[in-house]
Amino acid sequence: MLRYIAYRCVVALFLVWVVVTSVFLLLHLIPGDPAELLLSQGSIAADPAAVEALRERMGLNEPLWQQYLDHLGGVLTGDLGASFRDGAPVIEQIATRLPRTLEVIVAAALIATSIGVPLGTYAAIHANSFADNVISFFASAALSTPVFVVGTVVILIFAQQLRILPAGGFVPFSEDPLGHIQLLLLPAGTVALSLLAVITRMSRASVLEVLQRDYVRTARAKGIVRKRILRRHVVRNALIPVLTILGLEMGTLIGGTVLVEFVFNWPGLSGYLVAAVDARDYPEVVGIVMTISILFVFLNLVIDVINAALDPRISLVRR
Amino acid sequence: MKHGINRRGFLAASGALAGGLAFVGPTVLRAQEGGTLRFALSTYPPSFDAWTSSGTAAGTIKLLMHRTLVSYDPDGMMRGELAESWEVDESGAWIFKLRDATWHDGTPVTAEDIAWNVTEAQKPDSAAYLQGQLALITSVETPDDKTVRMVTAEPLAVLPGWFAHYNMPMIKKGEPRDTMIGAGPFKMGERDRGVSLSLTANPDYYKEGLPKLAGIEAIVYADENLRVAALDAGDVDLIEYVPWQSMAGVEENPDLNLITRDGPFMYLTFNATRAPFDNPLVRRAVAHAIKREDIVAAAFFDRGGVLAHLPIAEQSEFFNPEFKDAWNYDPDKAKELLTEAGYPDGFECTMLSTAQYGMHQSTAEVCQAYLSMIGINVQLDLPEWSSRVQKGNEGSYDLAVMGTTAANNDPDGLSNILDGSLPASFVRSYGMETPEITEAFARGRAEFDPAARKEIYRALEEAAINTVPMVGLAWRSQGYAMKNNVTGFSNLPGQLTFYSGITLEETMLG
Repeated sequence: MLRYIAYRCVVALFLVWVVVTSVFLLLHLIPGDPAELLLSQGSIAADPAAVEALRERMGLNEPLWQQYLDHLGGVLTGDLGASFRDGAPVIEQIATRLPRTLEVIVAAALIATSIGVPLGTYAAIHANSFADNVISFFASAALSTPVFVVGTVVILIFAQQLRILPAGGFVPFSEDPLGHIQLLLLPAGTVALSLLAVITRMSRASVLEVLQRDYVRTARAKGIVRKRILRRHVVRNALIPVLTILGLEMGTLIGGTVLVEFVFNWPGLSGYLVAAVDARDYPEVVGIVMTISILFVFLNLVIDVINAALDPRISLVRR
Repeated sequence: MKHGINRRGFLAASGALAGGLAFVGPTVLRAQEGGTLRFALSTYPPSFDAWTSSGTAAGTIKLLMHRTLVSYDPDGMMRGELAESWEVDESGAWIFKLRDATWHDGTPVTAEDIAWNVTEAQKPDSAAYLQGQLALITSVETPDDKTVRMVTAEPLAVLPGWFAHYNMPMIKKGEPRDTMIGAGPFKMGERDRGVSLSLTANPDYYKEGLPKLAGIEAIVYADENLRVAALDAGDVDLIEYVPWQSMAGVEENPDLNLITRDGPFMYLTFNATRAPFDNPLVRRAVAHAIKREDIVAAAFFDRGGVLAHLPIAEQSEFFNPEFKDAWNYDPDKAKELLTEAGYPDGFECTMLSTAQYGMHQSTAEVCQAYLSMIGINVQLDLPEWSSRVQKGNEGSYDLAVMGTTAANNDPDGLSNILDGSLPASFVRSYGMETPEITEAFARGRAEFDPAARKEIYRALEEAAINTVPMVGLAWRSQGYAMKNNVTGFSNLPGQLTFYSGITLEETMLG
């Protein structure tokens, strides 16, 4: 088991290195010069001498391999550098932004699971009934509606028509807890909607499968009450694949809430990444992508280890 | 084995929580916070560097914290700020007399501070927006604490205009360039990078009774539709960059007020280093081939106007009515010009624009359609903005769509776009030599007599109409929208629209 975990950790480290290197190289390959952009804000002509001076200050005139080694050295010592634009330390920015994105994702996951699992279970128990068809229809619809459409519609309804929630923005929880939760509701609800569809469908499929199992038939033959069978034997077992999917979806969401953050003006990590790419702020882009990939790799690692613990057949290293 | 909460319990609890939240209502967020204006910015200032150009949102914030030597009133007339008066002495040098003003830390604004700003920003590697212009100042003298004397090699009529620009505010001597210590009506408070900025009134501001607001909360709303929704929902009081498609809706809303100005403009630039656009006849053909009404309709929802000459507004004293329709839509003339240039069957070329901004792309598409009617088959190149800037600077295009504003309402502000002797830049045609225009700009700068200046710029426009260093396409409306209880805010006329933040010192919440 330990050897398996060690092996997975080495693979994870290798993956992170691959990501960091490719992001670094790709960024330098695409056109767009950060110094030139910074000095041409507002569509004005930048003076070439000023651009050259700024490039020198940013360290962009060093050979690429030198920049790469400097960068790698920084990463190893935990220094992700400073923003090209205003010199703000990248690590601090990530530390402020990441929790906000995680907050939306976790809130969305809570909403989606608390509604999706009961809904999926209900659909499975009443498979092929009218209710099942309605649930499946809405799950498909929710899955295929883009978040920016959902986002715009909920802003129109809740902020502009009903006027019960603000249209978007952010206040820190410490400053105004109630305002913070109000502002969180719409973005979290929007992310939850598509997540809800996935979880409902997954729960339905999983419960249906478990219902066919021998032990369920045995339990029924023993005369156990239906409710008890469902709670004790069916849902509990059906939840395992649902949680695996939920974990993976949450990992994808860490870098995938861009549109939601944009539509609701939620200052999380994804929005920060887009702004950084736009400005060709190399240290910021590399820092953010690295954080996201580390989280994603780590999440996968945890799932692998849990699976290995649950099912000894997975620890193949000893084979 | 039982755990704390079962499914039913969980559902009941979460339902109660959600219901409870709905009842709490948004009163806390919506309440008026005693004279604090909530201003939705289109973007977070990428930098607070006083002298570099970091976009218009940064410009607005600088206009709150800092003050320039001179500025503009709501009608666009020049007025004093840190300088009480300014004049040219007999030797042709500019003399600025300072008023009694203090920095945010309480120390007085002195002539030495001002001189330091000029000498720092004029250094070749300063990356200051006005570095090129300031380099023409050969020395700065401070005869006393309240007098600054700027000497130039030859007299320069346009010099005060430089010191009105929001990218040339004065900061205290020795402070870092992105200092928050200014002499402006508001002091910088808390900042949440990328999210919001809090500014509070400066009680020691040199204008009696100003600012009228106790503070300004500048909140970033990058999505233009959300910016309008936030104003509509009452989350903010004032928004900048009102999207054109929303202007009609804002106007119809009895609770809101929209102020627009035609200032920024769209135009075409050429790569003059290679055929066919090295030929002025071909460039003139392009100028006559495009029906500009369609651009105004497609890109700006009819919020703007046709521009068939140099971007000198009709309200400007430098407007030349004889050139109003100099580049009018005339496909027959365009074809004749093409034939005369040796391209009777037209040709193929690429047009650079960007897919990142709808107005740039729509403008390019309309131009493409009209150019195809005279036989010019245009292939659109629509990279995202950063790549577009780089390609423009390198001249990797035949024809390009651009949009910008001039530095101010003086025609000298157009040199940035027209003067081919300046270094290569995406804002002007690539490799275009314009000796007549370069020379006219130099003469215009040195001329103090208004009538003579008007004649110089008339001749300049005439030369430009014939040689076509760029093609004017459309004026676009620049709008600010606010709630009805916001008073005292003005949208400055013409090219000065992005200076409008200066009027926030007089803005009130009714």
